[in-house]
Amino acid sequence: MPEIANKTDEQVEAEADVDSFRKDLGPFVVATEMTRMAMVFTDAKEPNYPIVFANDSFLELTGYERKDVLGNPFNSLMAVGVSAESLAQVEAAFEGDCDIDPEIHYRRKDGSEFWASLFISAVRDEAGVVVQHFISLVDLTRYKQEQAQSNMLIDELNHRVKNTLSTVQSIAWQALRNSSDPEVIRESMESRLFALSCSHDLLTRENWDGAELLDLVNEALKPFAASNGRADRINVRGDKIRVPPKAALALGIAIHELATNAAKYGAFSNALGSIEVNWAIEQGEGGERLVLHWQEKDGPPVTPPSRKGFGSRVIERGLVHELDARVTLEYRPGGVACTIDMPAPKAGSNE
Amino acid sequence: MSKLLAGRCVLVVEDEMLILMMIEDMLSDLGCESVITASSVDLALAKIDAHTIDVAMLDSNLGGNSSDPIADALAERHVPFFFATGQKNGAMERGYQDRPVLKKPFSREALEARFRQLLSGTE
Repeated sequence: MPEIANKTDEQVEAEADVDSFRKDLGPFVVATEMTRMAMVFTDAKEPNYPIVFANDSFLELTGYERKDVLGNPFNSLMAVGVSAESLAQVEAAFEGDCDIDPEIHYRRKDGSEFWASLFISAVRDEAGVVVQHFISLVDLTRYKQEQAQSNMLIDELNHRVKNTLSTVQSIAWQALRNSSDPEVIRESMESRLFALSCSHDLLTRENWDGAELLDLVNEALKPFAASNGRADRINVRGDKIRVPPKAALALGIAIHELATNAAKYGAFSNALGSIEVNWAIEQGEGGERLVLHWQEKDGPPVTPPSRKGFGSRVIERGLVHELDARVTLEYRPGGVACTIDMPAPKAGSNE
Repeated sequence: MSKLLAGRCVLVVEDEMLILMMIEDMLSDLGCESVITASSVDLALAKIDAHTIDVAMLDSNLGGNSSDPIADALAERHVPFFFATGQKNGAMERGYQDRPVLKKPFSREALEARFRQLLSGTE
């Protein structure tokens, strides 16, 4: 075969080593060749630990061919991009000076990356002299990816928790700014925290992937629908549409504030009033819009509030800000009417 | 209470409306009468173009997007700014590690201290 002529002296020598190896160890060599764990032997008599044997799993893991690896120093082979620190660790493991098995970020022949844990053990002859090293590699790539994914989730969780704590701080801040009556403060803080918690529950059930607007509105109205036969006085309907998590939290609070106002002064403050909530996707100039209407009727005559409270601030300013919405909140004599006109959430959007 | 921010125009970039409302109240307590707000990178960039801003605070994570482009625009105009973030290391991975960071949640006093730090370098 013509390749034989091209082989370097080192290669020829290395292959001769493997042959003698095969003769001496018989079935063990076959087992090593067949196992799914990547394994190599290196020569301890030569400098830089040249590879004298590599099994198929090793070639599969690294993307090299047998002719690329035999006779080549173990450390230089996959060292492209490997930190000097990691290489020193491998060196130390060869010398037996390493307590922990090194985890190395390697590159395959094609440049792609993988993580491997190295187990290096010395092979001694009868006189106790180290003649070879046996190295097995465990592919840690998937584990490392999962670790990175889990670190990312922890960071994301931390971000959300800190934002939620800030939101709770804001709720406390508003309650304390708007009243000095402890009962009023307690009630206003609790009801908003419960509303927030309700939206969180809904989103958690959906893996924080968003929520159906119908579920969102129903959940937000649930505490108000529970008594006085009010359930029959609420009419909720609209196109099936999914709202991303942040918008769901904002709309949840807004609906809660509208309902709170209705229970105090509006259609839920007497025995007759009713509330209609409906929405539809409409075609606007800049693309599709989600337009939601809240309309109260048959409540006591409405008078505009003397000062703007938390609720109207959330609805008129907060939604405009967070959802880029156009909002009208009208205290019509026949009942409060609110229209929230926002860019329709895009499918798959996570904002 | 000091009126540190009287006569100043402050840009607040924050995507959570309830947090923003509290920040607005805190700024009002500090004498600020001109607060410009934005909840996204695009809106913030438009407002930076349209207004003369004295000082700014930026949430480092806007619905999953980095606020770095806003920081770039402010730095270009020499507008002092700091980041407000709940993240462990902030999100100041590139370029802005030396900028002050306010960890969420924060008190009005901490907010005031950050503005004082930025404004002590000007005028």
